[in-house]
Amino acid sequence: MSDATANGIPASGAPAKSSLLTQDALMRKRNAAEARFKAYGIAAIALSLSVLFIMLWTIFTDGVSAFRQASLTFPVTLDAERLDPEGNRNPEEMARVTTIGYTNLLNDALVAHLAAEGISTEGVDDGDIADFISRGTPAELRDQVLADPALLGQTITVSGFASGRIDGYLKGRVTRETAAVDTNISVEQLDLADRMVEAGILTSGFNWRFLTNPDASDQRPEMSGLGVAIIGSAYMMLLVAIFTLPMGIAASIYLEEFAPKNRWTDLIEVNISNLAAVPSIVYGILGLAVFINFAGFPQSSSLVGALVISLMTLPTIIIAARAAIRAVPPSIRDAALGVGASKMQTVFHHVLPLAAPGILTGTILGLATALGETAPLLLIGMVAFVQNYPAGPFDGGMLDPATALPVQVYSWASRSDPAFIERSAGAIIVLLAFLVVMNIIAIVLRRRFERRW
Amino acid sequence: MDDLRIVERSVDTQGFKITARGVQVYYGEKHALKDVDCDILDKTVTAFIGPSGCGKSTFLRCLNRMNDTVSIARVQGEIRLDGEDIYDKRVDPVQLRAKVGMVFQKPNPFPKSIYDNVAYGPKIHGLTRSKSELDGIVEASLKKAALWNEVKDRLGEPGTGLSGGQQQRLCIARAVATHPEVLLMDEPCSALDPIATAQVEELIDELRSNFSVVIVTHSMQQAARVSQKTAFFHLGNLVEYGETGQIFTNPKDPRTESYISGRIG
Ligand SMILES: Nc1ncnc2c1ncn2[C@@H]1O[C@H](COP(=O)(O)OP(=O)(O)OP(=O)(O)O)[C@@H](O)[C@H]1O
Ligand SMILES: [Mg+2]
Repeated sequence: MSDATANGIPASGAPAKSSLLTQDALMRKRNAAEARFKAYGIAAIALSLSVLFIMLWTIFTDGVSAFRQASLTFPVTLDAERLDPEGNRNPEEMARVTTIGYTNLLNDALVAHLAAEGISTEGVDDGDIADFISRGTPAELRDQVLADPALLGQTITVSGFASGRIDGYLKGRVTRETAAVDTNISVEQLDLADRMVEAGILTSGFNWRFLTNPDASDQRPEMSGLGVAIIGSAYMMLLVAIFTLPMGIAASIYLEEFAPKNRWTDLIEVNISNLAAVPSIVYGILGLAVFINFAGFPQSSSLVGALVISLMTLPTIIIAARAAIRAVPPSIRDAALGVGASKMQTVFHHVLPLAAPGILTGTILGLATALGETAPLLLIGMVAFVQNYPAGPFDGGMLDPATALPVQVYSWASRSDPAFIERSAGAIIVLLAFLVVMNIIAIVLRRRFERRW
Repeated sequence: MDDLRIVERSVDTQGFKITARGVQVYYGEKHALKDVDCDILDKTVTAFIGPSGCGKSTFLRCLNRMNDTVSIARVQGEIRLDGEDIYDKRVDPVQLRAKVGMVFQKPNPFPKSIYDNVAYGPKIHGLTRSKSELDGIVEASLKKAALWNEVKDRLGEPGTGLSGGQQQRLCIARAVATHPEVLLMDEPCSALDPIATAQVEELIDELRSNFSVVIVTHSMQQAARVSQKTAFFHLGNLVEYGETGQIFTNPKDPRTESYISGRIG
């Protein structure tokens, strides 16, 4: 033990005595540094959580009213003379009566009903009362009558949407102060609305049609819905998954497990990382040039949207899948090769099952990002006003014009009527709900695969 | 060196199983194995000894071309198995590895059930025609690896849930199950207790009747106990290769002499 000093340990001198019950200065300093670090971390998390909470709270308070809608319920006598002047109940001839005819019928019926109920219409004329009825309601009644001419002559109870301003009044968006400066609504109309609510003619309920209706024009915000956008987004996610999953996973397996490590693969690697960082709008321009102008695919279609979004999602998926494959310990590959498995068997029997949870999570998160992507879709025309539902998935529906949820948010937010702003926030809630569902699927799949070992 | 129980065993030279000539291995710039000539006999246990980092594992991995998986590794020279050059372009390393099995330095069971770990090799090589035959191989292999009694009631549990020593024996069972002609073992007993070590040594001795076994070990006692031939590596050179008894009692090279007497390494 003569060379102990060489290691810096004093050969003689016993170690300095110190109590375990008191901390020395160095220990205190280290503990203080640790406590500070933890405090920074907690502060950062608290800050981000509160910002997230504020964001969700504003969206929720602004958007939840989009799911409620004011409706008017009153009896209408379907006057055969007005709706079927020829009198032969032939829907083709009845179709000559336009929505204007039905609008007048409904207006008269509402005025008559108010009179019958004894509701005072002081300060408002018949035209003002007609403003209560949504412009979408006559069209709906017309469709109903044309589908079932036997209704003519009967008195039915119509339950149609109230117009946007009246709806806004029930939700608190329109007040007497705003009505005073609004040419579309008067304070007297609001007084009448109060009386109609009391009489049970004007009611408010959950609005399923916000989820099913297509978009509507500026004059009828209350009729607009997310139906087309939801179908468009669903088609796009389906196609994106079909395009990117097999390709992305195959590419990452090849690059990780089979490709030789040389200058070419290095170049490919750098390019994939760079592609993941390219602004999405650039992909939109590319899609416009390649898929629409060159390949001639239909504008505004889910197919083109999906192709563009696939291009931008692919690098993300490849990077995530490669990271998951790389995380599989090399000893597992050695073990498989050591018992004489081929490269392919090694990858498919041992590496992929271990990498699957990571690949799946990465892919679903990539798809979730894709779901919220807006900019490239604007360029390929998916921001268009689409009033017809796309056809079913097997009837070429993916070639039909459609919009997507984030694009619908954008286009509603840019319209002037405040009723659309509310709907825009409502659409964000739907979009977030989709994202939450996708993330839950990712978590469940991850758990399911990981629990195996 | 009095504690070494050196048993002189008769070595029946049925001929060479593996002949290596002028083997050089580079890891990038690093020259890890320098001009190694070595003949490994059939039905014999050959021990590789030497200080850490001297290239024992490297040479072992040349024998079943596991070095192919290291992208920076370069192997030169000639290695023949039964007279056929294993680095010939026509040789598929997958076929080679079915003949030359390997147990790695660190236990690396598949994250699958114990049964699947052992059954995997026979399955992919199509060694069995029925489930019962496969069961038979699994049981026999686990018995050879002295693991059967510990796991026979829980074959469906994950192999990764076993203790380190049990995992290593599982890896031995997995390697034995494919019926290799040569079994390469890289420090198979480094994680085992003396009882399991004795069992594995017994297995090695048993395997000798059918295969040739190459074992890397840091325990000179073990080398002396189980092997008939011993090779001493030092700094990438094969310094001395000969009968185990001769290496341990009468080494020709001064470096061997000082290593086995504990002065280098
Ligand atoms: N994959 C690798 N990349 C680079 N160098 C390596 C690699 N594997 C081994 N080497 C180097 O080659 C030399 C020989 O290594 P090897 O693993 O053969 O030693 P060993 O004799 O098995 O040692 P030990 O007894 O510690 O296992 C070492 O110097 C090591 O640093
Ligand atoms: Mg080694």
